Amino acid sequence: MKSIKLFLYIGIIGIGFTFEGCKKLLDEPVYSQLAPENFLTTQPGIESVLDAAFGEGYISGYDSHSSRDIENWCTDIEWETGGGENRAATLMINFTWDASVDWMYSVMWARPYRAIRNANTVLDNVDAASLTDAQKTGYKAEARFIRALSYYHLYTWFGPIPLRKSLTDSLELPRASDTEMQSFIESELLAVIPDLPAPGKEKNYGRPNKGAAMGLLCKFYLNTKQWQKCADVAKQITDMNVYKLYPDYENLFKVENEHNSEFILVDPQIAQGDGNNYINGAFPPSFAKDPISGLTMQSNWNNWGAQYRLYDAFYNSFEQGDKRKNLILTSYVNSGGATVSLLNADNIRSFKYWPDPNAISNDHGNDIAEVRYADILLSEAESLNELNGPTQEAIDLINQVRERAGLPDLMLGSFSSKESLRAHLLLERSWEFYTEAGIRREDQIRMGTFVSSAIARGHTNAKPTMVVFPIPQAAMDANPKLVQNDGY
Amino acid sequence: MDLKVHYYYWLLPKVSKQTLRIMKLIAIILFAACIQVSAKGYSQISLSETNAPLQKVFQKIQKQSGYDFVSNYETLRDAGNVTVNVRNVSLENALDACLKSKPLTYVIIGKTIVVQKKVKDYINTVNNAIALEPLPPLAIEIHGRVINKKGEPLQNASVIISGSKVGTTTDRDGYFTLSAPDNKNVELEISSVGYQTKKIKVTGQSEINVTLELEVTGLSDVVVVGYGTQKKSDLTGAITTIKSDDFTKGVNTSVDDLLSGKAAGVQVVQNSSEPGGGVSISIRGASSINAGTGPLFVIDGLPIDNSAAVSGSGTEVATRSPRNPLSSINPADIASIEVLKDASAAAIYGSRGANGVVIITTKKGRSGVMKVSYNGYAGMQNIAKKIDLLTPVQYQTVLNELIDEGAAPADSKVTSIANGGTDWQSQIFQSNAVVQSHNVSLTGGAGKSNYYMSFGYFDQDGIVKSSSFQRYSARINLQTHASDNFEIGLNLNTSYSINDYAPIGFGINGESGAIYTALNFDPSLPVRDSSGKYSLSSFLDMDNPLALINGINSLGNIYRTYGTIYGKYTILPGLSAKLNLGGDILNERKDSYTSSLTRHGAPQGGIASLLQGQKSNYLVEATLAYDKKFNQHQVNAVIGATTQRFITNNTNMGARQFPSDVTGTNNLGLGTQATYSLGSNKIANRLLSYLGRVNYQYLDKYLLTASFRIDGSSRFGVNNRFGYFPSLAAAWKINEENFMKNISGLSTLKLRGSWGQTGNQAIGDYAAITTFVGGATAILDDQPIPTTAPARLPNPDLKWETTEQTDIGLDFGFLNYRISGSMDYYNKKTFNMLLNLPVPTSTGFASKLSNVGSIRNTGWEFALNTRNIDNLFKWSSNIIISTMKNKVLSLGPIEQIVTGGAGQTSDIFLIKPGLPLFSFYGYKITGIWQKGDDYSSTSDKVQAGDIKYLNTNSDKTVNADDRVPLGSSFPKFTWSFGNTFRYNNFELNVFIEGNQGAKMLNNNLVDAYFPVQFRRNRFAEPYLNRWTEGNPSGKYPSFIHPTDQGGKLVNSYTVEDASYTRIKTVTLSYFFTPKNNFISKVSVYVTGENLLTFTNYVGYDPSVNPNGNVFQRIDFNAYPLARTFMAGVSIDF
Repeated sequence: MKSIKLFLYIGIIGIGFTFEGCKKLLDEPVYSQLAPENFLTTQPGIESVLDAAFGEGYISGYDSHSSRDIENWCTDIEWETGGGENRAATLMINFTWDASVDWMYSVMWARPYRAIRNANTVLDNVDAASLTDAQKTGYKAEARFIRALSYYHLYTWFGPIPLRKSLTDSLELPRASDTEMQSFIESELLAVIPDLPAPGKEKNYGRPNKGAAMGLLCKFYLNTKQWQKCADVAKQITDMNVYKLYPDYENLFKVENEHNSEFILVDPQIAQGDGNNYINGAFPPSFAKDPISGLTMQSNWNNWGAQYRLYDAFYNSFEQGDKRKNLILTSYVNSGGATVSLLNADNIRSFKYWPDPNAISNDHGNDIAEVRYADILLSEAESLNELNGPTQEAIDLINQVRERAGLPDLMLGSFSSKESLRAHLLLERSWEFYTEAGIRREDQIRMGTFVSSAIARGHTNAKPTMVVFPIPQAAMDANPKLVQNDGY
Repeated sequence: MDLKVHYYYWLLPKVSKQTLRIMKLIAIILFAACIQVSAKGYSQISLSETNAPLQKVFQKIQKQSGYDFVSNYETLRDAGNVTVNVRNVSLENALDACLKSKPLTYVIIGKTIVVQKKVKDYINTVNNAIALEPLPPLAIEIHGRVINKKGEPLQNASVIISGSKVGTTTDRDGYFTLSAPDNKNVELEISSVGYQTKKIKVTGQSEINVTLELEVTGLSDVVVVGYGTQKKSDLTGAITTIKSDDFTKGVNTSVDDLLSGKAAGVQVVQNSSEPGGGVSISIRGASSINAGTGPLFVIDGLPIDNSAAVSGSGTEVATRSPRNPLSSINPADIASIEVLKDASAAAIYGSRGANGVVIITTKKGRSGVMKVSYNGYAGMQNIAKKIDLLTPVQYQTVLNELIDEGAAPADSKVTSIANGGTDWQSQIFQSNAVVQSHNVSLTGGAGKSNYYMSFGYFDQDGIVKSSSFQRYSARINLQTHASDNFEIGLNLNTSYSINDYAPIGFGINGESGAIYTALNFDPSLPVRDSSGKYSLSSFLDMDNPLALINGINSLGNIYRTYGTIYGKYTILPGLSAKLNLGGDILNERKDSYTSSLTRHGAPQGGIASLLQGQKSNYLVEATLAYDKKFNQHQVNAVIGATTQRFITNNTNMGARQFPSDVTGTNNLGLGTQATYSLGSNKIANRLLSYLGRVNYQYLDKYLLTASFRIDGSSRFGVNNRFGYFPSLAAAWKINEENFMKNISGLSTLKLRGSWGQTGNQAIGDYAAITTFVGGATAILDDQPIPTTAPARLPNPDLKWETTEQTDIGLDFGFLNYRISGSMDYYNKKTFNMLLNLPVPTSTGFASKLSNVGSIRNTGWEFALNTRNIDNLFKWSSNIIISTMKNKVLSLGPIEQIVTGGAGQTSDIFLIKPGLPLFSFYGYKITGIWQKGDDYSSTSDKVQAGDIKYLNTNSDKTVNADDRVPLGSSFPKFTWSFGNTFRYNNFELNVFIEGNQGAKMLNNNLVDAYFPVQFRRNRFAEPYLNRWTEGNPSGKYPSFIHPTDQGGKLVNSYTVEDASYTRIKTVTLSYFFTPKNNFISKVSVYVTGENLLTFTNYVGYDPSVNPNGNVFQRIDFNAYPLARTFMAGVSIDF
């Protein structure tokens, strides 16, 4: 018995020792992930996280298709049938959307907030990193720009939302007030303009420059109806003497022309995985050839089940001779050799994002311009009209855009009132910007036709509160401090 | 604890010394394994032995004297060798000479010599016994043979004359010889472990042939429990044992197939019927939302990492359900499977025990000359059920009618059917797919060592073309007694598996796989177009099903070697120390190539990807076991410390644009450099644990078990690394009580109760700390640029998920075990759940792994074994029924979580307190809008023939607010009914199983109701009976405007009842012993598997779940079930 006792004592003591000693065993090394302590203090570390902010803040690939779709299906230009995305499309087209639309959460809510998180990670750590002051200033400006862009997107979609400026902000933030939201976006953009490089001087194509920040500010002022400020910034952009209209509208959106002097703020897309998906839905069923341009279906292109269709009413609104209309497909030759007309069935197609010959599967390389110089011109014209009513200055700005479209100049005398020029601007903008990202819905909301035109299309569920989307249910579920938008 | 022990001590009844003595003697006699040979006559004894084993010396004495010896093998062995030299001495003198220096003594009772350890009052005891029961005089010799009903000889069966201590054991061939007092009124009692004891009256004859029946109760079986073994009758916990004899004879690719329907409370669901496909197992419900729900597998003492080394599928290649890592184990090597269900049984595995534990024990060597066995089978598999789709003619008619009614533009009309069209399902299915399995095992032993060696080959072609699984496996189990006190052993398994994957994924368009396209592709097209290429439809964003089958090649090569080596040292009798070292190395390489035969491969010049993964772990484990009986008290205890470290490495690379498809993945360098992609990853985690368990028995009636485990894991926060998992259990053998003894017909009755806590640590590594991982790709200068982003919101306080379980069970046997079984009720509550707790999304994170919320699982389990007819014709049955109730109790601060997606469907499940976990969440269909209905009641765009959804509130629109829970994947109950019929050498097994009340989302049916493209094929039934003006169906809609109401994909039509009853296997076997010396036993059998399924479910198989979680059942492009007919043979040489 004694030896048993001895053995037990030794065992107990032994185990006690190993317990203390072995605790260290549980500190497993991390092999393939990086620790913040020594990573965020370096230049490559800061830049890598900043790049991740760009990766999320500029909306690319399938996500860019999703947010573009959500914003356009509820407008008077386009709609959709078929495909896996038809569920979301039906809700948007019929004005029956609710907080359960998953793209509104995954793409339009979660993604910009990840960009904001990455930007805040840079901003919270950049001062302590071993960088030159110039580097610090540059990185900060870029991070603040991409954060402001993300907040701009969130604000236009959902209205004022939680404003997170640092990683250390408390977990549950309530929604900011409209004033806070607006002043934050404005002040941030104003603050970074001096520190950002001049257009073309940025380190890589795709990084922000002064022009991009000014262009975004101009759109922000426009959509928040700060007319004088909008006109002023537009003027400054023109005065930079960098941007001009690309002479050939029909070729402006082709992948080979995407680096041009008209695109001011661009969401870059590439065929290697993060591409522009629009054309997959624009191809009509069994598309083989466009008899007018001669465009022939390639085997590396996909023709989706989802069908992106334009309303005939929009097509019929074009003025005679408008070159911009040429990017709309009205008939085609199908694989059986038959010519199929797409007219009179709300079934015409936008071929604005002309297929990329080197597309890989769903992904085409055509960049998506969020702000084009044409938009700056028309924004300035609209602001001037809102401030002073129709003036020659405003008409001249519009005529610059019409000239490229091959249309005759407008005459000041044709517009008797602010309202009549505003109405024309809404039309002019539809011809100029149809099926582009982030424009038509904002235009209709700003000019007050978003809900009324939906009701006119027969969507009686449309309500005035629908000018903002509902806060996604998953976001509501996760933060008890969030208050849902009216009407949802 | 201390207090309790004292308390019980004082409760011990007083027992008289006399009773104790008698009991002790009986125990001695019973305990003794008889070494006895019959008497041949009288003579003087001469011995000349040097350092010979006592056993051998006694054999000589027996030969010369004719006296039999009764002793215990261990007693003789422990006494060591003897040197003796005597000539023509008396028996007593010879015995004295032999035992002179030994701690042994002997008594001669009649013609039997009992040799025993010297115990103080042993002689008195024996004398008392003799005085009580004088032995009859000796007379005749009885010869005989003991066999089982299969005709196999039973070695070491004991043959005892009833009422005496005279007995012997059978030799290797089952023969025995015994001296009996006379030939009248002699009764022999023949017993053997695992068989029912039989009594035979010997009247007149001296040749006795006895056939023993298998013991039905198995109460004397030894059951493997965590870190030890126990007699089944002594169990206090809820443990189900499945012996190799009970394994279903069918296509058993993997260990988990063997569990299907065999254990109450254990749900086995095929993720895919694909050869080598994964299986999901859950024991007693689901106790976690985000951590794993599968049980821990322990093979020969080595806890197995049951995750796949390669989980991805490669670029453009849709394959599913990571392969089952257990498929690298040959089921033929398995001796038994123990399922530890309650906390008392599983808590010894602490942090990995919450989902139950499955202990697999492989076959061990047997002493004796080498025994060679072969068993093998071969069979044919065919698809059990095809989905009923529109035929080409129906497709043309129905689609064109839909177009006429305005469903699609006229240019989508089906104008012609080429060559009668194509049944795409038949094109991709293979008829008479062959499956075969061959196993050879060698077992034997010499002296103190024994061995088991086996080699296995398994080869299964799938019923979908281009899918197959092959496995070569080898095992060696060795055991040797290096000295009297020291035993060492080795269990080693190695295998090589080759898995050809069919392309089956979750994609719905261009990325969709073979099954999805076979269900959706245009049936009016021919297989190949006029140019000889696989035909494509310009109306469909989808490849030709055969192009996918033949153009995508995906092959996995899996190498796995694992094993344990142990040393066990007996320090003192009853006290032993064991060191167990284990290791497991799993290497997997998956090659995938999409050739230019396919629609996506052609423009890209071939797409190659190569995934490699290595998972390895090692185990170091030291335990100390103590086993002692003090009078009526028996104590059995184990303590130990163990650590296990897991390391995973992954590499992947890819390339495109090859000059030719010929080299496939074997020369990636031929691809175009700009298309290269690569990645690698390494993670590791470690467990450090301390464990202890005490079993205490009093009077062999009252049983008590307590166990404790301390587990530390590197996965948790520094503040909470260690978890503590206690358990307590008690059992009462009621039938052993005096007041129960008189109840006739009662064979056994045992009440069990247990409580304990187990944990769950099946989460990813590093969840407790901040790290940076690959972020969203930035596009700079039109190039994709890799970035880094914070991986997660860290939770340094992260700790164990705890499951607390109470179990009450009853084991019973009546009418000499003609009816026996058990029932259990469990109540399992999980708290501090490892939940991806939604956090305010403005943080840029969706969730933070946190210890929040709780879930309850409760259920009843019944297992009943009956011998219905027990004559020459025999019929016995096994019935298993388990019920299951799951309820989410709390999600902490969160009201609900909506989750889940597949194909075009999203937001499938609702997790909400008060409901079962993962309740289907969708729209209730109340009927079809008819002409004359009140359309003013809705502002939705509906017309006659559209689906009418339930509007749950007062608004006039049906939207997301009107979704209701539509049931869950939890069955109300599952059952199985096994029957064995025997007549002479024939045996018929019929195994039926069923599942009642489980729901499953039929996501292929979703595509029928909400077609992604108009020109896809659809399920026939709803379309052939669709609503038209002439057929105002109240069930099926007109399908003219399927998505006008927004595509309510999860609804009461698409969430189907997956209840079923299935005749799972029918096996007819024939046993015989050929009349030659070469073969000792043969059995041949034929089996039919998945013969008949009764169900209302319209998909391929109501029992499948390609989504990979038993309780999130989504049927989407499931690999169909096979019906198999096969023949097998097993031969013992």
